[in-house]
Amino acid sequence: MPALLKELCLIIALTAAGVAYSLISGQAPAPWTVAELDAGEIRFEDATTIDLIWVDARPESAYGEAHIEGAISLNEDNWDDALFNLMGLWLETPRPIVVYCASESCGTSKRIAERLRADLADAEIYSLFGGWQP
Amino acid sequence: MNSLDLKALVLLVVRLIVAATFIMAALPKIQDPISFTASVQGFQLVGSTMSKWTALILPWFELVIGIGLLVPAIRRLSGTFIAALLLVFIGLHASAWARGLEISCGCFGTEAGTTTDYRLLILRNLILCAATIWVVRRDCVREISFSSLAR
Repeated sequence: MPALLKELCLIIALTAAGVAYSLISGQAPAPWTVAELDAGEIRFEDATTIDLIWVDARPESAYGEAHIEGAISLNEDNWDDALFNLMGLWLETPRPIVVYCASESCGTSKRIAERLRADLADAEIYSLFGGWQP
Repeated sequence: MNSLDLKALVLLVVRLIVAATFIMAALPKIQDPISFTASVQGFQLVGSTMSKWTALILPWFELVIGIGLLVPAIRRLSGTFIAALLLVFIGLHASAWARGLEISCGCFGTEAGTTTDYRLLILRNLILCAATIWVVRRDCVREISFSSLAR
């Protein structure tokens, strides 16, 4: 048993040394720092302070399971119908539009936001940083 | 070559393959932790901060236990951690497969643009896991034999 404990301590120490090297050399960003936003991105905390239109760019099945209250589903599959609804909503009361998908890596929100900027040139359109998960 | 030598040779080859797999998987992720963070987030199981911690610690842990499998002083526990980690990966891939996620597994870094063939991935990890368990068991048997000889 003491031998296994010694092995465990050695593995933890070596891993910690590696992690420290990554942080000190600047190879990895510190997890506790706040990442910078790309152009056209907005944080959830900031988005919730303004009156806006949420657009859920995830597949409709995921939207059906859960979504941000009041969000409308708009993705590449239902583009025409959903865009018509969104335009109606936006023309009624023009306000910023925030598109979200499931995570930072999904990329759909940025693609949809880009397409929306082309179709709704006058609207203020953002993609949600970090995505949204129920 | 007698059967004992052959067994030792096979054990060494299997040990090298498992260790090399873990070392090769760890290095690109250590070099590019930001892309690996995105891969972790793709599994949609942990939040943003947790995925950053995972992307920072996991590659170094993989590297240490990968090399550790070749170092007598820590090879038993390294092997045990490798087998446990492979079981966790199998569970994660099965979960992503069940949820219909089309993501890159991030196993060997970014693998940009590639989506995961879950069946192949789970099969590969099962084989690696079985091989690792065999290596660890042989190490334990050898350890016990040496201890009883020493007495």
